[in-house]
Amino acid sequence: MESLRFLFGVILPYVAVIVFLLGMIWRFLTWKKLASPPMTLFPASTSGGSPTLNTIKESVFFSSLFKGDRLLWIIAWIFHLVLVLIILGHLRVFTNIDQLLMSLGMSEDAILAMSTGAGGAAGVIILAATVLLLVRRLAIPRVREITGFADYLALLLIGAIIITGNIMRFGPEHFDLVLTREYFADLATFRNFTDIAALQNGTFVLHMSLAFLLIMCMPFSKLLHFGGIFFTHQLIRK
Amino acid sequence: MSDTNVKEKVVNAIKAIKNGPRAGRLYMETCAKCGTCASVCPIYHGKSEKRYNPAERTDLIRRIYRKYCTITGRLFGKWAGAEDFNPEDIEEWRSIFYECTGCRRCATYCPFGIDHSVMTRKGRAILDMLGKTPDTMQKVVDISLETGNTDGANDVAFKAAIEFLEEEMEEEHGIPIKIPVDVEGADYFYVPPSGDVLVNPEATMGLAKVFHILGMADKWTMSSKCFDGANYGLFTGNDGDMKKDNELYVQEAKDLKCKTMLMGECGHAYRIMKMMMEKTGWWGELPFKVENCMEWTADRIKEGHFEFDKSKNPQPVTYHDPCNFGRSCGITEDPRVILQAACADFREMYPNRGENWCCGGGGGLSAMDDIIEFRMEVSGVKKLEQVRDTGAKYIATACSNCKRQLTQLMEHHDEEIDVGGVHDMLSRSILINGKAADRKEYV
Repeated sequence: MESLRFLFGVILPYVAVIVFLLGMIWRFLTWKKLASPPMTLFPASTSGGSPTLNTIKESVFFSSLFKGDRLLWIIAWIFHLVLVLIILGHLRVFTNIDQLLMSLGMSEDAILAMSTGAGGAAGVIILAATVLLLVRRLAIPRVREITGFADYLALLLIGAIIITGNIMRFGPEHFDLVLTREYFADLATFRNFTDIAALQNGTFVLHMSLAFLLIMCMPFSKLLHFGGIFFTHQLIRK
Repeated sequence: MSDTNVKEKVVNAIKAIKNGPRAGRLYMETCAKCGTCASVCPIYHGKSEKRYNPAERTDLIRRIYRKYCTITGRLFGKWAGAEDFNPEDIEEWRSIFYECTGCRRCATYCPFGIDHSVMTRKGRAILDMLGKTPDTMQKVVDISLETGNTDGANDVAFKAAIEFLEEEMEEEHGIPIKIPVDVEGADYFYVPPSGDVLVNPEATMGLAKVFHILGMADKWTMSSKCFDGANYGLFTGNDGDMKKDNELYVQEAKDLKCKTMLMGECGHAYRIMKMMMEKTGWWGELPFKVENCMEWTADRIKEGHFEFDKSKNPQPVTYHDPCNFGRSCGITEDPRVILQAACADFREMYPNRGENWCCGGGGGLSAMDDIIEFRMEVSGVKKLEQVRDTGAKYIATACSNCKRQLTQLMEHHDEEIDVGGVHDMLSRSILINGKAADRKEYV
């Protein structure tokens, strides 16, 4: 048991972060060094002609998709927006940012209300969006016929992460904020690798392991679209 | 060629994608399989089958790429969407890679801007390398490389055609209107598609009238060697052929010492000259610039040089944006300026400009009569619906391939709708000495 905890609670996070960082950097560098003759697509100057501005617009608002498939746009945009908010929300789990928030004028009650209110809502919304993405993938022939095992796996993995996260929030076995922050502080400073109190919570270990697995897969799976989008739009807007 | 040999060649070509250009590699690694491309694709709209799904077509190559070039593909095989190449699939590839018109509409709506035409061209390049380009296409390339034009016409036939056009114009207007040929030192070197001289010559007559009215009849020329901008190397994926075909025209432009290469109403020819040859500097610094004849005429119209008798073009007219002019070159307003000046009832079809639906004959498909059933009943279906919605009786378009596809499409579906060029309409209604053409039917 202890060795399993060590494997998932200590080894995996380090490996995942290293693989993710090196993998993404390697991707970006290889993409960058390849020749890219212009292959402009018009109208090219919707954002004042700047490919970079256009890429920002596409990455933030998914504007091409907005024109192409409105239903998918709604689901996908909400999914990614909430995902970003959830990642930001997790900052408070990794480390104590309450002092920072308070210095910005938030009361302790307000922080708590934001965490349970907005955080709770985010967990539910993203679960709904994930289910909708899955349903869409299964229900629409043009999507289903190009879907492979890896596409389902990615959605299921994300779904499992969301569900275990929601269990911790809404279920009886609520995780301990103080212990969790201690654990991440230890990981970040490379000490205390045994007898970690936070890892006594099985749901937490599962949630966290799946999340690090997802992060680790990012540079080598379809999730790489997170990196690709910053390059692909540049190609057609030169 | 043995199967092992074929396999080795194909696999090597696909492995080479990882060395660039950047687009190919990114397209191997970025698709999220969301299906948006299929929902905006004219082929998939015509028939919703898996083989017509753009993401699936690209996946034909992507699966092999994953097998040989990705860690997950090597470790998990088909669970990671990787598959080995099977030489028996080549015959299927010959059909599938010629079931995409390369219209780039997918790229306009894809959340990542993935341009599946790039992978279609890659697939065609692989076929070409194996000598498996469909015969109808290879024939056009061969003729063009041999004679300098896709119709296989020689300079005698060309000069006879030009003489005929001059006679026609004289009959129309009662005065001689010149089409200069092989004039060294003329400012403008006009390069139409050969169809606009030999098949639908009104566009060339229209441009001749423009130069005549401006008093610039001695400032332009055509070439009896180079009168066809069409370049099918773009369609077969063979860069060598494409550049060889192009080089002849660049050399002729230099020999004629022109200042401007004035491209005719031919979308892919203009795209190759402007967006590829000129923009990426295939032949270094050029002593001339590339312009399109529609830009040129539209600018003169805006300057107020011409008068028109719109009653000569009373029928409802719509404009079909050729993909290579609209999406790939951004030439969308100039043809409209010309048509609105020359026609009494101009109507838009929707969507249009950069979002226009392909005619169904793009990517060279228009020249392939062996797949006419596919062009009429699958790839052209959306265009037919769009045209019908306008109520137009004349479709103007600036591309010989679009014209051929649209003409066949209207005939096939029993629509009495004429198809022609943009300058054609100008030629019919522009006033010379206060009088429009006394026109005969040319069709």
